[in-house]
Amino acid sequence: MEEQACPRCKTTKYRNPSLKLMVNVCGHTLCESCVDMLFLKGSGACPECMVPLRRNNFRVQLFEDPMVEKEVDIRRRILRDYNKREEDFATLEEYNDYLEEIEDIVYNLCNNIEIIETNKRIEAYKRDNREIIQRNKARVGRDEYALEELLELERVQEESRKKELDELETEHKKKKARDKQALIEELMYSGKDAAQIVSEFAEKAEKQREEEKQLPPPKAATEFSTGIKFGQSADPTLLPVPKSDEGPLFVYEPFIPYTEGPVPPQAIDVDTMGYIQHIRVETPQENAGGFTSTMACQRALEEALQCLYFTPTAGLGVGL
Amino acid sequence: MYPLSSQRRSWTFANEEQLRVFRVEQNTKYIEEHAAEAPSPDNLNDYFLTPDEERLLLKQYEIYLIDFCRRFEPPMPKCVIGTAFHYFKRFYLNNTPMDYHPKEILATCVFVACKVEEFNVSINQFVNNIKGDRNKATDIVLSNELLLIGQLNYYLTVHNPFRPIEGFIIDIKTRSKMINPERLRPHIDSFMDSIFFTDACMLHTPSQIGLASILHAASKEQENLDTYVTEALFVSAPEKLRGLIEAVRKIRMLVKNYEPPEREAVKVIEKKLDKCRNQNNNPDSELYKERLRRLYTDEDDMPADDASFHIADVSSDTSAMNISQ
Repeated sequence: MEEQACPRCKTTKYRNPSLKLMVNVCGHTLCESCVDMLFLKGSGACPECMVPLRRNNFRVQLFEDPMVEKEVDIRRRILRDYNKREEDFATLEEYNDYLEEIEDIVYNLCNNIEIIETNKRIEAYKRDNREIIQRNKARVGRDEYALEELLELERVQEESRKKELDELETEHKKKKARDKQALIEELMYSGKDAAQIVSEFAEKAEKQREEEKQLPPPKAATEFSTGIKFGQSADPTLLPVPKSDEGPLFVYEPFIPYTEGPVPPQAIDVDTMGYIQHIRVETPQENAGGFTSTMACQRALEEALQCLYFTPTAGLGVGL
Repeated sequence: MYPLSSQRRSWTFANEEQLRVFRVEQNTKYIEEHAAEAPSPDNLNDYFLTPDEERLLLKQYEIYLIDFCRRFEPPMPKCVIGTAFHYFKRFYLNNTPMDYHPKEILATCVFVACKVEEFNVSINQFVNNIKGDRNKATDIVLSNELLLIGQLNYYLTVHNPFRPIEGFIIDIKTRSKMINPERLRPHIDSFMDSIFFTDACMLHTPSQIGLASILHAASKEQENLDTYVTEALFVSAPEKLRGLIEAVRKIRMLVKNYEPPEREAVKVIEKKLDKCRNQNNNPDSELYKERLRRLYTDEDDMPADDASFHIADVSSDTSAMNISQ
């Protein structure tokens, strides 16, 4: 900002770095004081290019390069009309063509190429797509409105919280002052032992602090000042979770395997008694799945010993 | 777990007599139903199969079954063979071969066994192992699948003796003083092969069959495992020892008494079967095709000619598929 000088009063820029540069539609910059002077005199023309100007066309410059400012300005103006979205197009190609057209127009206007031609194009487009433009404008409006509401909400919540905190602070301070005062009075006028009085007060202070903690936290604001309710974060259409009646609690009963045969060895015995040596070690893939050779060994032994004592009677077989 | 399984509850019987009763019952029921088809009412047994002929036929087809499984590509694990045998035997306890030809049921049993024992074979891979018309075989297997499962009363889990045998070998290696129990394996394998041709799997528990095969192999190797049995296994319940010894003896008798049927006799029976079988279930017969046709089309529009069904196959070969050599 300091390097740029206002083209009219060149000196004033260096002297006052806080002075802002204003820019207008033709892209030329003027410092604030020069703008005022220009319009005091009553003539509304840019000093460099003599394009007629209006006072409110001047905006505070955001970018160093005036060309960029100009382009940004043009783009904003164009996009207010060319506000179609991707959903409005059938294919990606069409959308890309549309975007390219916008770029062409902006470029032309920025560099003063075929201005009349381009303006005609813009007019034609506006006429053809009037409804779509209107609809999209409305849509944008709605989104912004919703956002604004949310912001408002947050702001108000913030304010109310701050207010409460302040009140709490002052309350607290006042109480402390009162307590101190009471202590001093006691010491002065009562006949009791000084140390006792002090300890009494200390206890009371403790108790009060406890009570404070127990106080419920201040109720959060649920209304705008106008009475409109807000803060409904939970979806009012959802019902609260129904409480299910719990039946009798599950009691674990250990599984007693039923074998009509000799008792098979337990898992520990499989290792200690040497059964495990006679079975192959599990592969890493099997181990990853939680499978161990002890299991295989135990299973083989169990199956060998199951129902050794069993003598079958009539089976059911037929159709049952 | 075998003690809690359906196999023990409903598919294990007390003795061979019970099994024979079931089979005879099925046979007589079929003959009564189809008595009208016989050419002469007095010689029913000449036309229809007798229970003994049925037994012979089924024995032959069991041999075909094991051949089929042995030559199967990809190589089939033993438990699948065991399960297929179980299904085959159980099915023919409640049905007669005249109703459903053993060839078809054989293929279906193996297919279902593959699925149940998680030996995944697609139907295409499966019929590649069958000689003859592949499409027809596919149709037959798939259409009989549900029938088979239903006849087994949907009890598909089968406990085979293979794991108990492994368990016993581990136990022997750990607890008895036998030298090199691995010698027993070839004898065990051959014993198990013969076991499946008998009805032992429906009369005894898998662990008893396993123990019987171990003892048989031991005696073949001139080893004596009686001390192992009495001390290690029955130390806590000596009174059950007798029951077990009885069971083992019976199993070994069954295996010893088994003799494969003669080819010539079986051929005669097969010819007889072709004539007396239930034509409703014969995929080659006109009756079957007619039934299917009616099943798949509306009553109003009967197609003039059913080129659409590939079951309407005009091969001169009368047998549905060639599984045997």
